[in-house]
This record gives sequence, C-alpha cells and structure tokens, in this order.
Amino acid sequence: MDRAVQETDYDAFSCKVSAIAKHYLPRQVSGKEKEEGEFVQLHMAYAQGLKSVSRRAYSKVDRAVQSAQPVMNYGTYLRSVAIDEAIACFLKEHVKSGAEAPVQVVNLGCGSDLRMTQMLSQVPHLKWLDLDFKESVALKSRILENNPLFQRELGPSESVETAGYLTNRYCLTSCDLNDIAQVAEILKKFTTQDCPTLVLSECVLCYMKSAESKALINCIESFYKMGTWISYDPIGGDDSADKFGKIMQTNLRESRHLEMPTLMVYNSPEKYAQRFNTAPHSTSIVTMWQYYVQSVPDEEKMRLKTLQFLDEIEELEIILSHYILAEASWR
Amino acid sequence: MKVDETIALLRQGKQVSEETVYTLCLRSQELLMSEANVTRVDTPVTICGDIHGQLHDLLTLFDKSGGVENNKYVFLGDFVDRGFYSLESFLLLLCYKLRYPDRITMIRGNHETRQITKVYGFYDEIVRKYGNSNVWRYCCEVFDYLSLGAVVDGQVFCVHGGLSPNVTTVNQIRAIERKQEVPHEGAMCDLLWSDPDEVSTWSLSPRGAGFLFGRNEVDQFLHCNGLELIARAHQLVMEGYKEMFGGGLVTVWSAPNYCYRCGNVAAVLRIEDGLSREYMIFEAVQAQDDVGNAIIPTKKPQMDYFL
Ligand SMILES: C[S@@+](CC[C@H](N)C(=O)[O-])C[C@H]1O[C@@H](n2cnc3c(N)ncnc32)[C@H](O)[C@@H]1O
Repeated sequence: MDRAVQETDYDAFSCKVSAIAKHYLPRQVSGKEKEEGEFVQLHMAYAQGLKSVSRRAYSKVDRAVQSAQPVMNYGTYLRSVAIDEAIACFLKEHVKSGAEAPVQVVNLGCGSDLRMTQMLSQVPHLKWLDLDFKESVALKSRILENNPLFQRELGPSESVETAGYLTNRYCLTSCDLNDIAQVAEILKKFTTQDCPTLVLSECVLCYMKSAESKALINCIESFYKMGTWISYDPIGGDDSADKFGKIMQTNLRESRHLEMPTLMVYNSPEKYAQRFNTAPHSTSIVTMWQYYVQSVPDEEKMRLKTLQFLDEIEELEIILSHYILAEASWR
Repeated sequence: MKVDETIALLRQGKQVSEETVYTLCLRSQELLMSEANVTRVDTPVTICGDIHGQLHDLLTLFDKSGGVENNKYVFLGDFVDRGFYSLESFLLLLCYKLRYPDRITMIRGNHETRQITKVYGFYDEIVRKYGNSNVWRYCCEVFDYLSLGAVVDGQVFCVHGGLSPNVTTVNQIRAIERKQEVPHEGAMCDLLWSDPDEVSTWSLSPRGAGFLFGRNEVDQFLHCNGLELIARAHQLVMEGYKEMFGGGLVTVWSAPNYCYRCGNVAAVLRIEDGLSREYMIFEAVQAQDDVGNAIIPTKKPQMDYFL
C-alpha cells in the first residue's frame, strides 16, 4: 500500500519531464529566460540522477514520458503553473524587500518536487522543509548529493542521517504524515512557530484517510501562528450523474492497488475547501478548468495550442474539472 | 485469408498476423477506391459516432442494434486512437465491410491520419503489439481511401466533424481529391475537424484546425442541398447524443466511458424509412473473455490520471 503511494511520485515526475520535453513547461514569461533555462536543467539533471540511482524507477519514468498525451501535458502545465503562482503570491505578501523577515515553506509529500532549488536561490530569507516517506527521501537525497548542480545550488549537506539532506536553509527529512506525533516533533525541530509559513500538499492528502488527514491539518494549523495552505488534489465529483470519481477509484485500485480514500468525501470544491477549517473569506478554491479559462493569459493559451494538436476540448474540461487548487490562510 | 475466421479472432481481441493485416488492408483499399467521396445510403440505417479503439463497446453496439447480418451501418469515423484495441476495432469494421459491402459505410475521422495516430496512441499500440510499425503503415494507406461523407435517402448528410466555409454544396465535396493525408487546412480538413457552436458566423476553432459554425451556416447548407439533417460525431457528449439548431444537426457519440474514465453513455442513431429518428443509448461493459472473466489489457499503457 505505502509502496503504491510512493510510486505515484514517479507519475508526478514523469508528467513533468514529459511536459518539459514537449515545451509546455516552463511557462514563458519575458525577462525570466534564465530561470526557465535553469528549470529545464535541474529537471534533466534529476532525471539523469534517477537513472544512475534506480534503473527501475527511471525506466518507469521513461516509459511514461514516451506516451504522454496532450491532455496530460496540459494538466501538468496547469498544475505546475497554478501552484507556482500561488507560492509567488504568498512570498510577495510576506517577503518585504530589504527586511530580514524570514518565511518558510513546508512541502508535505514532496516526492521529486524540485521547487526548493530555485526558490531558495531566489528568496534569500526563505527556509524550506521537504517531507516524505523514508524510501522517497533516501532516493531524493542520493540524487541531490550525487549531482554537482544541486550541490552548487543547495550547498553541501550536513545531514547525519543517510536518508536526508540538511543545510542551514534546506531540510529534507523522512516523516510519515500519518504519524502526528512524529510530524509535530519534526516541525518543532526544523521550523519556527511564529514565522509566516506556507504549507504545500500537491497530490498528497488524497492518499490519506479522512481521520489522518484531518489530524494532520489540525496539527499544522494550530502549530503555526499564521500560514497559508496550498493544496492540489483530485475531487470525485458531487452530482449523482458524475461518475468520474467512482471510475477513477476503480481504475486505480485495479491497475495500481492505489486507494484514494477521500475522493468521494471531499468530492466538490466546496467540501474540499471546508476541510481546512479556515474562515471562508480567507479560503479560495478553483478547479483546474476554471484556472485554465480564467487565469492563463491568451498568449500562453496560443502558445500551448501550437505544441501538440489538442483533439478534445470536452474531455479536457471533464478531467480538469476534477482537479482543484485550494488556498486557505489562517492567523 | 478467410474473412470469417479473422472476424472470429478479432471479436476476441486476439492478435492477427502481419500478413493477414496486409491482405485485409489491400483488399479494403480496392473496395474503397471505387467508392465516391460521398456515399449514397438507403434507410433504414444506423448511424454511429466515434469508436476510438473501444472494441468491447463496439461489440455491444452491434449486439444492441441488431447486428451487421440484418442491418446497415454508417460509421462517422475516429475508429482508432485512445482505446486499447484500435487495430482490432478498425480491422473488424474492414472485415465486416468486405463480408457485407453494402451494409457498412466508413467515413474518415480526424484521427484517421498519420500525424494524429502518432500522438494519440494507435501508432504506439501497433509497435507494442507487433514490435514494428508495418501494420500501422498498412492501415494508414487505407485511411487515405475512406470516404468523406454519406447522404442517407438524399436527406441526411453524414460527416465526421462538420461544415467548411469552402463548401456550399455536397457536389463540391464530391470533387475533392481525397486520396491523401488530411491537409492542415481547406475543405477536406474542415469536414473532419469543424464543430457546431452558438456562433453567428464562421469562427476560429479552439482545436487549432477546422472552424466553428452556427445555426446560420447549418440552415443555409441544409436549404441549399435539400437536406433535413446533418449527422456528425467528433465531440464527446455525456448523454451520447445532442441535437442542436432546432434539430437540424445532431452529434452522435458511440464510445461509452470514453478513455475508460469519462463516465459518459454512448448512442447510435437509427433512421427508419420516412426519416424518423430513434436513439439507442448504451453503457460501457467490462470486457470479458469466453468464460466470463474480466479482461484487463495486459499491455496497457500508463493510467491517464494526475497522481
Ligand atoms: C503524487 S506524489 C506527489 C509528489 C510531489 N508533491 C509532486 O506533486 O510532485 C505523492 C507523494 O506523497 C508522499 N506521501 C503520501 N502519503 C504520505 C505519508 N503518509 N507520509 C509521507 N509521505 C507521503 C508519497 O511518498 C509521494 O512522494
């Protein structure tokens, strides 16, 4: 079961690599060409690292990249860009130029997410905590340690654990999010309670049971004085005529032995938003379809269209309407 | 090659030899070559939308609509891509056509092209199943000979996508040089790519090929050609079919639970003598083998979800 959940990281990573190979990612913003180049380099370096550390994992990624279709590339682009934008928005609010006020990010179920690399070099007073299962952390830290590019960007690791990475601003360490005592201990050890905190869960809460995810949310929201939770997840759909979620559960169970226990519980944007206990005016949620229609600039839409023939807008809408990005703030 | 034996194999989703596919494609080409760009068909007939390699659902379609032994069918294209059994679905239709030439009309869809099948799965399926792309090439040759439309009893115009600003009469379609890869623009492209929409005139399509057309364009085309209905496919409809513009156009979609994940039902449209319309709705079935065990495709590509 845990293994099936851990392996979803290869899916997330291979989707990203595919979207890069087909030039969906990085998003193009004029004046950001240098960052865009770095983004590609970092991901290619990580993929190479994966190849030398785990052939098995690499071949999974490689196969998935070969067959990724436009709908998946679109969805990956939107997921990545929407989260980046939400993070940028948080930082803009809390990082005052010149001031020494620190901010921190806690990335729950970080998997192979490489956001920390560029963020840490762009935002001087940022601290970043990456958490995942032990096996995933072991894999990631080996890749980071073996590669000069990551060494240069992150600085050398002082971690005494074999599975982990530690510098004065970046910490990657293993933690089972279902174990609340462990979570609390790690937050205490590596983060500061009264510093503005961004909590990120990208396709992570969906693999947890309802009670455990509730406990995790409560624990984190009561620990930090002020924070913003950014969460990306699938939702099952709440209309009795909408079978998407049920079919998804069956498909994933049959093909991957993978469970999404709360897909049909927090099955609408409204219900998903409510799980954060935050005030309604400081909680917002959009489906990825809404994000595509409302927030992607026309030039980007045009650019995406030229990358591959997207044959089916209706299908894209159905799928993207079942993934959301929630932002919930408390203080 | 014995057509009946091949049909039996295909119906079970079993692999047929490269030589068989070659012969089948060659004979189909000869048959299709003699067909006009726009075929004439008589009622009663069953009009079917996109299939997309969902072989088991195609079998359900035949089952529930009476079968090719007793009925005529028009298929509006998109036989291949997306599903796990593109090859078997396409070959089965070709076999039926060879076996019962006047009962099966196959119209070309926007997926029946070399370029699109390379992106949307048919090419990969062939390489997975045969270890090389020969069979894909044979099939693509057949694609180039598929017709572009059909007219039922002089009244119902059948096409995969829709209308084109370059086409005002059905006769103009008859004059197109169709035996080629679908071009990126022009009449032939539009017929395969366009969509109806609530627009007041020809508009850009979000798909990047073809156009959007509205009620005006449909009314005009119907009037100009003495037609009653445009039957087309090309767009997923959750309810299986959707009539628009006061019943002047219908979209028919025949791939239930599209891509094994969309949760939609499918439909076919039966047109009787006297042009009455009847829709038959059907749902996806779990594929089963001879003894009733669920078939989960073994060489299945990755699951298409964001995880
Ligand atoms: C789909 S991946 C997402 C990875 C990353 N957030 C991204 O989007 O690229 C899910 C990740 O969550 C981790 N995860 C799920 N449940 C967890 C738990 N209870 N404790 C720690 N990590 C967990 C998995 O190991 C996996 O790396």
